[in-house]
Amino acid sequence: MLDTALWISLTLVLAALALNVYRLTVGPDMPDRLLALDTMYVNSIALIVLLGLWLNTKTYFEAALLIAMLGFISTVAVCKYLLRGDIIE
Amino acid sequence: MILPWIPLLALLGVVVPLLTRQRGRRFCSLATAAPAILALLLVFSQVPALLAGDLPRFQLAWVPQLGLDLAFRLDGLSLLFVSLILGIGLLILLYAHYYLEAHEPFARFYSFLMLFMLSMVGIVMADNLLLLWLFWELTSLSSFLLIGFWSHWTDARKGARMALTVTGAGGLALLAGLLLLGDMAGSFDLGVVLESREAILADPRYPLMLVLVLLGAFTKSAQFPFHFWLPHAMAAPTPVSAYLHSATMVKAGIFLMARLHPAIAGSEAWELIVTLTGMATLLYGAWFALLKTDLKAILAFSTVSHLGLITVLLGIGSPLAILAALFHILNHATFKAALFMSAGIIDHETGTRELGRLGGLRRAMPVTALLTSLTAAAMAGVPLFNGFLSKEMFFAEAAASPLLGGLSWLLPVLATLGGILSVAYSLRLVHAVFFKPARKAPPKSPHEPPRLMRAPVELLAALCVLVGLLPVIAEVPLGLAVEAVLLTPLEFHLAIWHGLNLPLLMSVIALIAGVLLYALHAHLRQFGRQFSPMDARLIFEGAVQRLMTWSERLTVRLENGSLQRYMSWLLGAALLLGAIGLLQLPSLAGARPTQEADGILLLGAALMIFGALGTVATHRYRLISLLMLSVVGLVVSLTFARFSAPDLALTQLSVEVVTMILLMLALFFLPQKTPRESSAGRNIRDLGLAASLGMVVASLNYAVLTRDNHGISDFFIANSVPGGGGHNVVNVILVDFRGFDTLGEITVLALAGLAIFKLLNRLRLFMPHSDGEGRVWSPDRYPLILTSVSQALLPLALLVSAFIFLRGHNLPGGGFIAGLITAVALILVYMARGVEWTQQRLDFQYQPVAIAGVAIATLTGLGSWLFGRPFLTSAFGHFHIPAIGDIELATAMLFDLGVYLAVVGATLMILANLGKLTTPHRPSKEEKH
Amino acid sequence: MIQHLIVLPIVLPLVVGIILLRGRGGATRPKRIIGVTATVLLVAISIALVAQAASGEVTYYALGDWQPPFGIVMVLDRLSALMVLLTSLLALGCVVFACGGDDEQGSNFHGLFQWQLMGINGAFLTGDLFNLFVFFEVLLLASYALLMHGGGKARIQAGLHYVVLNLAGSALFLIAVGVLYGATGTLNMADMAQRLASLPAERAGLVSAGGLMLLVVFGLKAAILPLYFWLPKAYAAAPAPVAALFAIMTKVGIYAILRVYHLVFGDQAGALAALDQPWVWWLALGTLVMATLGVLSARDLRLLVAYLVLISVGTLLAGIGMRSEAATAALLFYLPHTTLVTGGLFLLAELIGKQRGKAGTRIVKGRPLYNASLLGVLFLLGGAAVAGLPPLSGAIGKALLMQAASAEQQLWLWPLLLLAGLGSLVALSRAGSTFFWRSHEGEPSGQPLAKRQLFGVTWLLAAAPLLVVLAGPVSDYAQATAEQLGEPAVHIRALLPETTDGDEA
Repeated sequence: MLDTALWISLTLVLAALALNVYRLTVGPDMPDRLLALDTMYVNSIALIVLLGLWLNTKTYFEAALLIAMLGFISTVAVCKYLLRGDIIE
Repeated sequence: MILPWIPLLALLGVVVPLLTRQRGRRFCSLATAAPAILALLLVFSQVPALLAGDLPRFQLAWVPQLGLDLAFRLDGLSLLFVSLILGIGLLILLYAHYYLEAHEPFARFYSFLMLFMLSMVGIVMADNLLLLWLFWELTSLSSFLLIGFWSHWTDARKGARMALTVTGAGGLALLAGLLLLGDMAGSFDLGVVLESREAILADPRYPLMLVLVLLGAFTKSAQFPFHFWLPHAMAAPTPVSAYLHSATMVKAGIFLMARLHPAIAGSEAWELIVTLTGMATLLYGAWFALLKTDLKAILAFSTVSHLGLITVLLGIGSPLAILAALFHILNHATFKAALFMSAGIIDHETGTRELGRLGGLRRAMPVTALLTSLTAAAMAGVPLFNGFLSKEMFFAEAAASPLLGGLSWLLPVLATLGGILSVAYSLRLVHAVFFKPARKAPPKSPHEPPRLMRAPVELLAALCVLVGLLPVIAEVPLGLAVEAVLLTPLEFHLAIWHGLNLPLLMSVIALIAGVLLYALHAHLRQFGRQFSPMDARLIFEGAVQRLMTWSERLTVRLENGSLQRYMSWLLGAALLLGAIGLLQLPSLAGARPTQEADGILLLGAALMIFGALGTVATHRYRLISLLMLSVVGLVVSLTFARFSAPDLALTQLSVEVVTMILLMLALFFLPQKTPRESSAGRNIRDLGLAASLGMVVASLNYAVLTRDNHGISDFFIANSVPGGGGHNVVNVILVDFRGFDTLGEITVLALAGLAIFKLLNRLRLFMPHSDGEGRVWSPDRYPLILTSVSQALLPLALLVSAFIFLRGHNLPGGGFIAGLITAVALILVYMARGVEWTQQRLDFQYQPVAIAGVAIATLTGLGSWLFGRPFLTSAFGHFHIPAIGDIELATAMLFDLGVYLAVVGATLMILANLGKLTTPHRPSKEEKH
Repeated sequence: MIQHLIVLPIVLPLVVGIILLRGRGGATRPKRIIGVTATVLLVAISIALVAQAASGEVTYYALGDWQPPFGIVMVLDRLSALMVLLTSLLALGCVVFACGGDDEQGSNFHGLFQWQLMGINGAFLTGDLFNLFVFFEVLLLASYALLMHGGGKARIQAGLHYVVLNLAGSALFLIAVGVLYGATGTLNMADMAQRLASLPAERAGLVSAGGLMLLVVFGLKAAILPLYFWLPKAYAAAPAPVAALFAIMTKVGIYAILRVYHLVFGDQAGALAALDQPWVWWLALGTLVMATLGVLSARDLRLLVAYLVLISVGTLLAGIGMRSEAATAALLFYLPHTTLVTGGLFLLAELIGKQRGKAGTRIVKGRPLYNASLLGVLFLLGGAAVAGLPPLSGAIGKALLMQAASAEQQLWLWPLLLLAGLGSLVALSRAGSTFFWRSHEGEPSGQPLAKRQLFGVTWLLAAAPLLVVLAGPVSDYAQATAEQLGEPAVHIRALLPETTDGDEA
């Protein structure tokens, strides 16, 4: 049962990642692309957690934690750049 | 033990004038002469031993690997030359004492002169080929300094450089030749070399060696076609011309040929090359001596001619020819030095050396006129002067030489022609200066020079006459010298009258025809003028200039300052050499089975490739390109996670964020539009290079990963817990097994921070006021949501980094990752709140933080010295702490703390300083408090 | 302390660097005292190391007490001792010179200088291939920071080329080390050498790919033919004491080639032995040619000296390319000479430039020099030495190298080496006569020389006559070093006694 659920969710997450990259590529605007990248980070968290469940190990979870905590900072940096150019002022 | 003192005294002579210059010229001159006089006495003290058949030698090992010894000998040949060098040197010193003007730096001049004397003494006394070469090159150097003595004068500078270049080049050829010679003879010891004639002549490299050695000799002795530097060396003060460029230095080449005569002469090649070169030089020099109008130029070309004469004799090489050569060396040195000094006196007293402005000087300078006439007669080969004797011997040998077979009559004919020319130019010299009325008055009204300035000339002129009348007195030194060259004693007798014979006839022809030739001299000069004047200096300078321009063009072409070009060379080289290795691999895949690919891996790979290609394809749209790069980074971290490398995944993730911030910071200062810079051709080149290198590296990677490797890693896994006290092998490797690497790397990190700080120092960059599409920046500097989130995140991030740090030794984590997390969290505060706000709350410098990190790590390492263990030896143990319980503490954790601090400090040094560039807190050289 | 002697040349500058760098501010004077004292100490330590190594024994220091092949070791043999001594002697001249005022042109000079020494010494001492990479990084970053010292457009541009190319080189280094580790399973050079002896034939290609890529990296550091283009401008732009210290940087590359291809790819490596030889030989000759042209083309004294460094690189690499004991001994004699003398010339160029007002170091007519005689004598000394004119050290070094060449090698080496000497002679005599003989009318207006700067120059250039006087003992040492390098088995046995004994049993 868990296996089936895992496979389904893995497939969906992978599809989501592929779609993120599609959005990142086609845009059309910078914010669209940026959001696509940010969503990719979020989906990666899901992917890592699912992998942990699948391989039955906890070692991956710190990676998920780190993405959750730091992933958005690059997004913030790009946003700030788009708004002000100068990200530290 | 007396021998080494002779060069040592000369060396002393180099220093003495510099030390005594304060005490006046007279004292200085005397003090300089003293060591030379002493050296001359020492030389003479050896004569009895020589006459008794001994060969005084001295040897001291110097560089055995090279075969270079500090070895001197004083055989007859050395004796002849060393007396000449020291004797004439002393006369020159006396002459120079009066010659130099009061304001000229006489001490320096003496010092250079003595340096030259030292090197000449070294050449003629060296008992080791390489030692000889050392002194040989030293003469080039000292002559450079002496020719350029009047350095304000362009001719002097250029003449000096030309002489240095030509004789220096010859010296280099000589080095090659002598190395070959030593190799053939099996030793550089002169005694051995001189006795290895058979082995040397039989060696297949003999012709090459001969050419190289002769190149050295010919350039030094100004043989045709390398003669051209000598006339230009006449820009030197006259004492130098008299000493170096007539009496001694130019004889060094001749000396070398005589010195090596027993070892390398006698072959057909030797005879042909040396004789013909000498003959060409003899005639060429004599012809131009007749045409020149500058007194010193006439003497210079006549010197060239006489050097040619001696060379011819050495080429003929019969015992009597050698005798004649040595005799003429002696004679030439006496009369030519005297003539040069006379010329110098005339120049000194009249202010010109141009024949056109001189004339009728016999009234004003009767003594000088007499002396010049006597020495010029010796030069012309007039009977009862010394020059006659050696010249007649020359005629005799030229007539007797079987060289050139059926054309052997050519030699005596050409020799006579040379004699005719020499009579003509000698006559012209005397007549034009002293007897013919002047066409134009000289700049100064002439009068006789000081008594003592003339003394050297008088002495030498007396010698010319004395030897000419009583040739017997030259027999002893010549006998010794000839014995040294021939290696056997030679029975001979010098006489003025040999009866009516061919040489006498040749002499008579030379005298009569010479006088006639001078009578026709005006026509000859007409004839000479038809040829466009060829200034050797212009040609030489032009050649050097062209060489320089050409090499500059080539260099600029190669080093065009394009980083892309340099990079492609580097990558191309790696590609080529890597591929060569791969080609030798029997099969790419090794024995280890590969893991099966699943859908996740395939998609990950596809995303990564897409991201990489996208980064390149969109590189002109920098922001999109960066986002594509982030995709690659993200997938790489996921890959690390998937293949059980959680430490790497964590590191990659944090590095990814830091990189992104760094690039966003830098992007602000870059031009907002990327022009299309690469041509299609270059794109294809770059694409090809990148793709091939990628394939080579990927193949290498594949080859390595599919092969088992029973390496040192097993040891690390086995010893991680018992030896390092940690379950996380990666961390134990980093902080313990290879802690020294980590120490190095955190130093690198700190250095990177310092380097970037240095780069940003004083850097002022353009700041755009709008984005790429021309929209002005948003007025909202510190968005509210961002500020709130960042403040909430900071304690959380610090907690996480403490957690990651503490568990590091046993579980994924460690100081490096923890440091990055802390740094990123702090940077977020900077972004959200700005520099001003953050600075007020975090009032500390980052450099001390980074350095403290390195310091803690280093101190941890040094701590083990207290226990007598090597640097960085770790210790760990389990401790019971009340309320917390059992806890494991390891020194490695302290080390890791150092890593943590270094990472935080260095990262902030880089990011925060880059960020501060747009604010008043910009980095500057001075520390702000 | 004595048992830690081997690691001291790394730890001492590290600690001193920490002390000097702990804050950016502070007075200059104490920093100078600390920096100079530390460098003097380093000289003393390296003399002790040479004395220890001169016995011929190979000794090592296991960091963290992890024995080879597992831990990192610092290995002391004649070669590494010689290189460390050379570094410290050069550094002393540079640091004293810098105390004449160059150190105040920017921040952190003395600390960075010490860390630079740490990187260089580490590279010379380490017996571990990955650790060599680490020290390459240390010296790269430190040198980049020092190159930027004092700022200015030329430095930033040259520095960019320098750092980008060298970072790419570092990446290649990592790839190469990765391949070698993958193929042999070890990083310790002695262990790797031993494993190559019993390497499965199937892996030889992999090892040679790694080994040759490593050669590219070392070639970049040493500045061999197609990879040297960055060097002249970077060296010419660097502040004088830094440029002088950089004289040893190319020698780090030379050393690495010498070490790796004599130890790892020594005779025991069978078909892989002397992997580098043909490449190094031909490219060295090419370097010699191009460097000679560069010397002739230079219109600035600093650039001229930079090309002279390149000539010395070509000469040394040709010595490596000859691959014989005599050639190695010869190049080891030539190496200290060229390092110290070119270093001294960089310093001298600065002094000359300072007294010539606007003309600076450009080879054009300029103001008369204030200390013309003194500087002229020094220039003559350095110029004659570097051009290979006797009676100075260059002549002996070149003669040794020429003598070491075999008959076929002579055909190439002799003309090129001699022409390089002639080219230097032409260029240097032109420069010297322009600086010292050809000047505008008028009184010299420069400032008198600072004593410290003069000391630095004299200290380095004194090598030229001293190496001649001491030519006997120095060439004996070089000969013994070459013999030691030619016997990797001894080196391996010293580091790995157990495994080698096992093989024999």
